[in-house]
Amino acid sequence: MRQHTKKRKGEERFMAKFLLKRMAMMLLTLFMITLLTFILMHAVPGGPFTGEKQVSKAVMDALNEKYKLNDPLWKQFFDYVGGLLRFDLGPSFKYQGKTVNDFIENGLPYSAKLGSITLVFVLIASIPMGIVSALKNGKWQDMLLMALATVGVTIPSFVVATALIYVFSFKLGWTPVYGVDTWQGYILPVIAMGGYSVSFLARLMRSSLLDVMGQDYIRTARAKGISETRVIVKHALRNALIPVVTVLGPTVANLLTGSFVIEKIFAIPGMGGYFVNSVTQRDYTTIMGMTVFYAAFLIAMVFIVDLFYCLIDPRIKYD
Amino acid sequence: MKKFLLLMLCLMMAAAVLPAAAAVQEITYALANEPDGIDPGITNNSFASPILNNVFEGLVTYSTEDGSLIPGEAEDWTISDDGTVYTFTLREGLKWSDGSDHTAKDYVYAMQRILDPNTGARYVDFLLGYVAGAAEYYEDNSIGFDTVGVKALDDRTLEMTLIAPAPYWLDILTMWTFSPVQEATVAANGDRWTASADAYVTNGPFKMSEINLGESFVLVKNPYYYDAEEVNLEKVTFRFIPDLGTSLMAYENGNIDGMSNIPSADMPRLKAEDAGVVMTPSYGTVWYDFNCAKAPFDNVLVRKAFSMAVDRTAIIEDVVQTEADPAFSFMAPGYVIDGEDLMDTASDNDISDEADIEGAQAALAEAGYPNGEGFPEITLSYYSNETVGKVVEALARQLQDALNISIKISNADWAVYYDEHVAGNYDIGAMGWSGDYVHPMTFLQIFTTGDANNNVFYSNAEYDALVKQAANMTDAEEAFEVMREAEAIAAAEYPVLPLYYKANTMLMHDNIDGYFVTPSNALLLKTAYVED
Repeated sequence: MRQHTKKRKGEERFMAKFLLKRMAMMLLTLFMITLLTFILMHAVPGGPFTGEKQVSKAVMDALNEKYKLNDPLWKQFFDYVGGLLRFDLGPSFKYQGKTVNDFIENGLPYSAKLGSITLVFVLIASIPMGIVSALKNGKWQDMLLMALATVGVTIPSFVVATALIYVFSFKLGWTPVYGVDTWQGYILPVIAMGGYSVSFLARLMRSSLLDVMGQDYIRTARAKGISETRVIVKHALRNALIPVVTVLGPTVANLLTGSFVIEKIFAIPGMGGYFVNSVTQRDYTTIMGMTVFYAAFLIAMVFIVDLFYCLIDPRIKYD
Repeated sequence: MKKFLLLMLCLMMAAAVLPAAAAVQEITYALANEPDGIDPGITNNSFASPILNNVFEGLVTYSTEDGSLIPGEAEDWTISDDGTVYTFTLREGLKWSDGSDHTAKDYVYAMQRILDPNTGARYVDFLLGYVAGAAEYYEDNSIGFDTVGVKALDDRTLEMTLIAPAPYWLDILTMWTFSPVQEATVAANGDRWTASADAYVTNGPFKMSEINLGESFVLVKNPYYYDAEEVNLEKVTFRFIPDLGTSLMAYENGNIDGMSNIPSADMPRLKAEDAGVVMTPSYGTVWYDFNCAKAPFDNVLVRKAFSMAVDRTAIIEDVVQTEADPAFSFMAPGYVIDGEDLMDTASDNDISDEADIEGAQAALAEAGYPNGEGFPEITLSYYSNETVGKVVEALARQLQDALNISIKISNADWAVYYDEHVAGNYDIGAMGWSGDYVHPMTFLQIFTTGDANNNVFYSNAEYDALVKQAANMTDAEEAFEVMREAEAIAAAEYPVLPLYYKANTMLMHDNIDGYFVTPSNALLLKTAYVED
């Protein structure tokens, strides 16, 4: 009894140390990303006030003064980091009267909702596809599913999206052409956006499960006379899921923060557009804000995935 | 399924019983780009035009019948004999969209706000260059606004004093920059007064009802507009659909009533199908800038050779696939006095619709490069854009074949391209101009020595003097002749390679009528309506 408590305490201390270490690493990573983005952004020619027509020097000076672009770069950087600590991403340099926080507060709900639905679709579709393929290895079911998955990985989402709109919205009129004002509006974007992930995860699931099914402990389990269903569900699946969970972290981050292509084609006012447009527009604060937000999200997801490992596989220990 | 059938049956019965209702006065119009702002004092972004031109109105505006300049909020005005003092009388009982009174003081406030460098007004040059005392005040706000020539003599009288006479001052006043802005809302909300529909107080035919970031602007009829009786539409939704393929399908499906850009590849089909292609004249020219400060384009004969070697018809019809007139000058037609267009008598500058290859070769030989010998490799640069890219490819091929020279193509996104261009780091580059207002001065100004937009570094003292002279002439007809002379001088020296005159194109279904598109591509919806 006493020994048991001691062991648990040791584990807790170990866990706390692990968490602290990871937190410190995450903050350092985020800082480095912020710094690198800042440097790269200022190294690229062109500025945020390049419009359709040239404004006079007096106006340009006034604008640089207003947005504090005349300060030395190191000061601009530390002012920015200071703002970050207060969760203030600053005013957009391009869109007058708008802040980067506005873009995230307005765009994230759209992107996250679409992303969440897509994620559910991806999981529901890909994992059973992978399992069926692995179990029917080499049979026609496997061939068919993997052929589909290959198509899904290779055809880019904008082609899929345009084709889907053309057939289902334009020709058949079943779904709206643009926007997500109704639930039907989600159907096509979810399929177009999730297509790649479904295909990728299904293939991963298939190969991982095939790999696990060949392991010694599966043979042992079978030798013990356990039913085939139980062997698959209890022993094989759990281990086969590990690679899937690994890629799930970045996938979740990608899906939830919005896709530029899908949001553009379906005219969904999510975050994806600001991501890409801010770069071509040299909207400095928006570039920074979007990158930092995405990076923080991605790092958090990878961290959560790491925590999940130990739930799935007791062989994995934190260090 | 049964329920569905029942519902359908009910609906059909209802439709049969009810009399045909009058058309709902609501339209949805797709815009491809979100404007960078909707503060009339700040933005110079053309994407803001559909919104600003319908929710704000200045002292003067354009008629939605024929596009002529008509009184806006000013019912009348007088101009002093020397042409420098404009006294406007505002209409009686003007109100803001929130119902509060609106007076001449609001104009003074709007101008004062633009002249505060902290506002970041992009079009401030239009005040600095014309209004007495504006430049001095902009330089140093502490000298007090009384020194500036914008004064409210009483609630209904506004006086504007110019540095020198400018007969086109009324044309300039149609720009949204000169719209009044309500001080109360700017004071209460600061920069954010354009961020919510409630704070966005306007004075035009429509007012803002919803601002959905990245998605749409929803306008509704402004009941306090002085001419509200003439306004038919109850609701106008400007929906941002960045992908033209998507908006075109939505248009053809009838989900939207109109859209601002037409994919060029679909143009011939849409016209053949009579699908609602609307083309209106534009006060703009598509051209290619020559870097006149750098060899070999510092030689006017080289510029001439290039201008003559281009087959404009092929580019318009086969590459851009639009309907436009080939351009022989930087100046677009469209400015008319007494039924005569300034460009009616303009020279063709030896340029023709199709390429004059022999003439071009002769000019190049005269410049010292017979058959292209010894001509350095030059770079033709452009900003990343699908249509422009195609034009550049065609242009480079035509020039190489005609002149036996070698051309390199380079492209970059707009921010990089434009910065390099303005800095003079180019040989030939894609460019063009759309008039800020419909007066030749908008074109003439940019080729004067040292103008901020003179990216070709063209300089001709005689031309500068004529432009300056015309700018200050009070007699419009006399100015007309001087501007004609100035145009002829510059166009004959080919500061740019003119390609074609722009046309505004849009799609609008036939059941929408009563709108007007100005040559500066402002879509005016004041009198628009949906037909029954």
